[in-house]
Amino acid sequence: MRHVLFSAILLLFFGGLMYLAADLPFGDPPRTDMDDYFLRNAQAQTGANNVVTSIVFDFRGFDTLGEATVLFTAVLGVGMMFRKLKEGEEYEND
Amino acid sequence: MTPFLLLQALVLLGLVVTAVLIISFKDLLAAAIAFAAFSLLLSLEFYLLQAPDVAIAEAGIGAGLTTAIFIIAIRGTQRHEEKN
Amino acid sequence: MKMTKIVRTTADLFFPFCLVFGLYVVVHGHLTPGGGFQGGAVMATGTALLLVARSYDDVTGRIRKGAMKACEAAGLLIFLCAGFSGLFAGRPFMANWLAPDSALFRTAVAHGPNAGDLNTAGLLPLLNFGVGIEVLGGLTVILLYMLSGIKEEKKP
Repeated sequence: MRHVLFSAILLLFFGGLMYLAADLPFGDPPRTDMDDYFLRNAQAQTGANNVVTSIVFDFRGFDTLGEATVLFTAVLGVGMMFRKLKEGEEYEND
Repeated sequence: MTPFLLLQALVLLGLVVTAVLIISFKDLLAAAIAFAAFSLLLSLEFYLLQAPDVAIAEAGIGAGLTTAIFIIAIRGTQRHEEKN
Repeated sequence: MKMTKIVRTTADLFFPFCLVFGLYVVVHGHLTPGGGFQGGAVMATGTALLLVARSYDDVTGRIRKGAMKACEAAGLLIFLCAGFSGLFAGRPFMANWLAPDSALFRTAVAHGPNAGDLNTAGLLPLLNFGVGIEVLGGLTVILLYMLSGIKEEKKP
């Protein structure tokens, strides 16, 4: 009984979401000022044929620097977690 | 219905089917392989939506690396889910 | 769980091709879909294939943890140096000062669809390469650490 009720509520919720989302414009945004600017000027300003790369590495290069730093920090954290213990050193199990 | 939409509907149906398979498998290795199939179908969907950059990233990270990490974890623990 | 000979041979065979394809995606990042992150992920997938097929002791001869750590640090360093090089050219940080006219990577591209040329895009190929080897090193080091953490049970 509870499973049926739960499934009905879930179905109703996602059905409502789908109904609302049907009206959203997808892949066809009404405001395209920024897109037009990138498509018109990316090749002339950066010299790259791939507009996506020219955005990721040039127009938004600061974000990519942050992403590279995040990856570096993640690897540092994993290295600290899995490091070799020194002689006679134990994990603290509190 | 155009063939493009039909292909997209097929891919999305395959996504749902593989997603259900992932949570229903008791053999964890089979679940990991089903997850790889899910990621591959997802990258195909990205490619159909004209985002090849995201498709390459999804195929590399999702279908390749995540499956490798899962298989290494299964190798370190046990293959079958415990019954309770 | 030991992999069979078929899996090991296939992984050995596919490993160099994965590396070469990843390098292709990195180097052509400013011309075709893909770029530093995607190409690095493809290269790391190649190393992951080898790591899954073989045990940790088998693999340390071909994939060295120290070399991968050096790759990762060098990648981030290349990115930062390429960013700071804009300051020495009298432009802001991360400015693409190589793009219009200078010695390297300077060919101008025509507007609209064209055949493409590797010698374009100024700083972007350098940044792509830095991010590519950083992603390769980082993901491989994570996989190596995880693989070294599990104990292989010795079965007779």
